[in-house]
Amino acid sequence: MSRTNHALFRPQPESKWVRSVVRRTDNRLRDMDLDALQSLLEDARYSEKRRLERDDASAAEVEAMQRLSNALVRGTRTQQIDAALHVVGSWVSEIHGNFNPRVYGIATNLIPQALTALLSEKPRGLGGWRTWDLSISRRLKIEGEIDWIKELSEEATLILAPTHVSNMDSPLIGMALYEAGLPPFVYGAGLNLFSNPLLGWWLRRLGAYTVDRRKKAQLYKDTLKDYSVICLREGLHSLFFPGGTRCRSGAIETHLKKGLLGTGLQAWQENLATIEHRAPTATMADGRWPEVYVIPCTLSYQLVLEAPTLISDHLAEEGKQRYIINDDEFARPAEVAGFASRVLDLDSAVVCHFGAPMDVLGQEVPRDARVRVQEMRKRRRYVTNRAGAVEWDAQRDRVYTSDLASALTKAYHKNATVLSTHLVCRVLWDALSESMESTDVFRLVRSDQRTRTFERSQILRRLHRAMTAVQEGTDSGLFRSNLPSSAHDVLELAIDRFARFHRTRDVVADGRQVSIGDPRLCLYYRNRVSTIDMGA
Amino acid sequence: MEVGILGGGRWGQALGHLVKTAGHEPFVAIADEGPPDGFRWTDQPREVAEACDLLLVAVSGSQVREAIRATEPSPGNRIVVAGRGLEPSTGTPLTEVVRQECDAVRIGALGGPAPADEILHGGIGAGVVASAFEEVRELAIRALNSRQYRLYETEDALGVQMAAASMPVLAAMLGLADSMGDARIGVRALVMARGLAELGRLATAHGADQEMLYGLAGMGELYAVHARPGARYFEAGKALSEQSNVPGPWRLARALLRMGHAKQVELPLTEALVQVLDGASPSTIARQLLRRGWESANQAD
Repeated sequence: MSRTNHALFRPQPESKWVRSVVRRTDNRLRDMDLDALQSLLEDARYSEKRRLERDDASAAEVEAMQRLSNALVRGTRTQQIDAALHVVGSWVSEIHGNFNPRVYGIATNLIPQALTALLSEKPRGLGGWRTWDLSISRRLKIEGEIDWIKELSEEATLILAPTHVSNMDSPLIGMALYEAGLPPFVYGAGLNLFSNPLLGWWLRRLGAYTVDRRKKAQLYKDTLKDYSVICLREGLHSLFFPGGTRCRSGAIETHLKKGLLGTGLQAWQENLATIEHRAPTATMADGRWPEVYVIPCTLSYQLVLEAPTLISDHLAEEGKQRYIINDDEFARPAEVAGFASRVLDLDSAVVCHFGAPMDVLGQEVPRDARVRVQEMRKRRRYVTNRAGAVEWDAQRDRVYTSDLASALTKAYHKNATVLSTHLVCRVLWDALSESMESTDVFRLVRSDQRTRTFERSQILRRLHRAMTAVQEGTDSGLFRSNLPSSAHDVLELAIDRFARFHRTRDVVADGRQVSIGDPRLCLYYRNRVSTIDMGA
Repeated sequence: MEVGILGGGRWGQALGHLVKTAGHEPFVAIADEGPPDGFRWTDQPREVAEACDLLLVAVSGSQVREAIRATEPSPGNRIVVAGRGLEPSTGTPLTEVVRQECDAVRIGALGGPAPADEILHGGIGAGVVASAFEEVRELAIRALNSRQYRLYETEDALGVQMAAASMPVLAAMLGLADSMGDARIGVRALVMARGLAELGRLATAHGADQEMLYGLAGMGELYAVHARPGARYFEAGKALSEQSNVPGPWRLARALLRMGHAKQVELPLTEALVQVLDGASPSTIARQLLRRGWESANQAD
C-alpha cells in the first residue's frame, strides 16, 4: 500500500464521525445504572459550567449545557441521555479533523523545505546560496526500525507513542515521518493551536484533531477515547503523547496516562469481534489485519526551547495546576524563530528514534511476516475464549494497558540518546552536589555562583569517567549516545550549544574554570540522564 | 470445570483433592514419583495446557521454569503458581519465571498455610490468591473454594510471593535462635519481631505491600512452618548450630539477601543466617547483632 492509498486519504465526512461517536456514547449510557449515569452527567454539567464561566462560551455551548442542566433537574432518564448526546455531538464536531489529501500533498512537498529553510542560517554570498543545504536529515537525525514500521503500516494500524519534550515535537515528528517515507498519522492537537484560523485550517487538513484540555469532564474524555477508537478502527494510524503533557522536569517519562493508550486494545478487540466467527487468519473487509501495533518514539534534543519555563514550573510544583502553559517560549514567535535558526540548524540538533513495534499488551512483534501471522492467531487468545469470541473485561484491559505503558517507558529509556548538553549538565550537577554535600535540589538551585564554579581540569576528568560509563551503557543496550570522542570536545560542544539560545546560560566557561550559569537549566538537562549509573 | 495441576507430589495431590472437593475435575501432569492415584493423569504436560484454562503449578520453586517449558501454556491459559514465592537460584518471583517461559500473561500466586497432609486427611485450611487480574483470582477461587478450604484474594502477587519465600527463612532463624541456651524464648521473640520488620522493609523496597507479611501468606504460613513439632524449616535452623550441611531454605535466604543488596536494604538477621551457613559461630554472630542494635538504636523501626 503506498502512502496515498492509506485510509486517511479516503473522505472522512464529519457527520459520519458524529453519528459513530454518539452511537457509542448512547450504548454506554444506556447500559449504566441510574446512579452512575447521573454522576457522570452531573460531573459534565459541573465542570463545563465552571469552564464556561472562565472562558468565552458560544451561545450553542451555553444552550447545550442549559439543556443538560434542565434534563438533570426534571427530565426523564431518556431526556437526560438525549441532552448528553447533544453535548457529545457538538464536542465531536469540534474534535473532528478534516484531512485533505490535496493539502497534504502540497504541504509534504513544500513544508519540509520551507521549514528547513526557516531552520537554517541564511547563506552568505552567491556561492553560499548555491551550496545551501536544505536537507532535513542533517538537522533531524532519524533512526530506528523504519523499514519494519513501514511494512507493518501496510498490513495493520499503528499507534505512534512519542516522548513529549517540547511543542516542537509534533512538527518535527511530522517531518520525520515524511522523511522516513512513513504514512501520515492523525493526532490530537491542543485547541489553542486552532485559535489562529489559518493555522487551524492547515492543521485540520494535515490530520490533526482537536483536544481541548480545559474540558475536564469524564464525558469529554470518554468522547475523545471513542473518537480515537473509531480512528483506529477506520485504519487511521494515530499519534498520542502517552505522557500527556510536556515533561516538566526534563527527565524521560516514567509514568504514562493510560486513557488514550488503552484505545488501541479496545480497537483491536472490536476489530476481532467483526471477524471472530471466520477463519483465525481472516482479515477485515478492507484487507487489513485487525491488529493494532504501538511504536515507541523517543525524541532527544540538544536544547529545548521551553526548558526555562518547564523547569521553573517543575520546581514550583505548579505542573499540575498549570497543565496547559499558554505563556511559555513557544507562544513567542520571535523566540521560536530564533530557536529554529540558531539551534535546530545544527547537525543532529534533534534525534528521533523509532523503536521496535509492540502489540497492545506491550509485547514484542515478530519481525518475520510468516511468524507474525502465526503469532497473531495465538495472541488473539489474550482476549478471546476457546470459540474465538471476544471476552470483554475492562479490569483485564486495564492491566494489559498498564503492561503496555511499562513496556513503552522501558523503550523510551532504551532509545533515548545521550547528547553532550545532557552529559555536561549531569557532571556539573554531580560536582555541585558533592561540593555542597547535599542532594537537596532546592539547596543546589539556590547555591551561589562561586560554589557553582569548578576547575575545568576537574570537570574534564569527571566527564571522561562519565563518558566511559555512557559507553558501557550504550554497549549494553541500556540507552543510546551521540557524543564526540573526547571529553574536551564534549564540553566544548555543550558550551557552544548553550551559548546559542537560552538567555541565561546553563554552563559558562572562563579560561580554566567552568561554572553553572543557571542551575535550573543545568538541572533540567541533567534530569534527562539522572538515572545513568556513573559508578563511584 | 477442568483444572490443570502441574506437579503430582504431595502438594499437587492436596490441591487436586481441594479441586475435587470444590466439585471440579483435576487433570495432573509432571510427577517425579509417577502418576498419583485417583486423578486424571497425562505424561504430556502440553495436553493439560490445551485442555484446561486454569493451571495450578505445584512443583518446587526450582522446578517451575522447567515445568512451564514442558507445558508450553498459551495466551489463553490462566496460571496460578502455588510455590515458595521465589526461584531459589535467581530470586526471581515465580510469576515472573512463568512469564519469562511462556506466552501466558494472566498469572497469579497462591500462598498461605495449607499443610498437604492435613488437607489430604480432610482438614480445613485457607489461603490467598494474588493476581493483578481479577479473572485469575475468580477462577482460582471457583476452583478451590469449598467447605474444606477458603481462598482470600489480593492484587499484590509480589507481596504474597515475598512473604511465601520469607517465612521458611524466618522459621529457620527461629530454629537457630532456639538453639541458643537458656534465653531461647526471648531470642525467638526478638528474631520473630525483628525478622518480620526487616523482611517488611525488603518487601516495601521492591514495591510489594508489607501487609502481606502479616496475613495468611506471611504470619499464617510462618505458624504452619515452625509451630508443628518437627517442623522441617525450624528443625533445619536448629540443626545449623551444630552442623552446616543440613538441608534447609538456604538458597532462599541467599536470594533474599541479594534482593536486599540490590535495593540497599539492610537485612541483619538474614545476613546473620547466611554467615552461620558460611561457617560463622552462631554465638559470635548473636553478639555482633546485639552490638549492632546499640549502634543503630536510633534508626530502629
